Amino acid sequence: MTQTPFRQTADGRRAIVLAAVIVLQAVTAVFFVGDVVSDFLHDGRLEDLHMWIEMLAALALAGGVAFLMLELRRVLTRLAALDRSMRAARGEMAEVIDGFFTEWNLTPSERDVALLVLKGIDNEAIAQMRGTAPGTVRAQCTSIYAKAGVDGRAQLFSVFMEELLAGES
Amino acid sequence: MTEATFTTGKGAQAPDPAAAPRDIRVWDPLVRLIHWSVAAGVFVNAAVTDPEKQPHELVGYAILALVLLRLVWGLMGPRPARFTSFPPNPLAALRHLWGLFHGARGVHLSHNPAGALMVYNLWATLIGMGATGIMMTTPRYFGIEWVEEAHEALFAWLMLSVALHIAGVLLDTALTRVNLVRAMLDGRKRLPPQGPAG
Repeated sequence: MTQTPFRQTADGRRAIVLAAVIVLQAVTAVFFVGDVVSDFLHDGRLEDLHMWIEMLAALALAGGVAFLMLELRRVLTRLAALDRSMRAARGEMAEVIDGFFTEWNLTPSERDVALLVLKGIDNEAIAQMRGTAPGTVRAQCTSIYAKAGVDGRAQLFSVFMEELLAGES
Repeated sequence: MTEATFTTGKGAQAPDPAAAPRDIRVWDPLVRLIHWSVAAGVFVNAAVTDPEKQPHELVGYAILALVLLRLVWGLMGPRPARFTSFPPNPLAALRHLWGLFHGARGVHLSHNPAGALMVYNLWATLIGMGATGIMMTTPRYFGIEWVEEAHEALFAWLMLSVALHIAGVLLDTALTRVNLVRAMLDGRKRLPPQGPAG
């Protein structure tokens, strides 16, 4: 959670610098191409080496702008994906889950177990992760279901599903 | 997967999501930079530079380059910047304006239909000004009256359009309570809580 904003601003800064370079290069590219065209219109000698080098430089500049624009689009796509996942994971789901756990008066260890249950991890794996006996996890689950007023895993999920669906409309 | 990854409870100081306004990223840095650069360029060429002198021509070239850059970005940029997000549709624009005065408060994540028409109008006008401006510098069209008149007529149209553009932004901001100027500055539209999107 603490890493995401940092990466976000790093990418954000990158996007701003890219945009600035693109604007500068695009403006100079247009001047360059305009210069080549007007030179050609004035004395139009294609066999002139200087003319060809100028044309090549203008093309390279335009190609560079195109490449930077593709790069900027990549950075922006990454930023948008990050934004979305952050919003879903932190802004909405985590808050929703946290709110329920507090409302049900879950103890800190019950909170951890309940979150692992919601992540779809089975009791044996939870016990292994937390370094406790499977019986302890089963007892904690029973306590969680009782506090939440549900009669099992499936109903616990449905509490959050209903909340998500209700939040949509 | 460490245990610490799953602990909740900590970091629960985040604001209530239902009551918080939603920030939506709409304008990327390139769109914003082009917008304000063009605005500055138009201001400089309208009010500062001497139309007979070279700085006026250079600024004109730069504006043209910026508009062309924006047109390319409209084909390949991120979704809100793309032409497909705001197709020119006069009927939709009229419906939008009609709705605006009759209580509809829809928020658009790109240009709204009326704003879209204005954007195409501004681009076309700027390209027209650039084209007639360049023509005046060529020996072939130098001193030809209709070119100069077209450049001046387009300038008058541009000023009218800019005035309408600013009025439209202020009107939309007042009615939908989404600060459009802010969106063009920091790229985000701050939607009111539970506001409609579309």
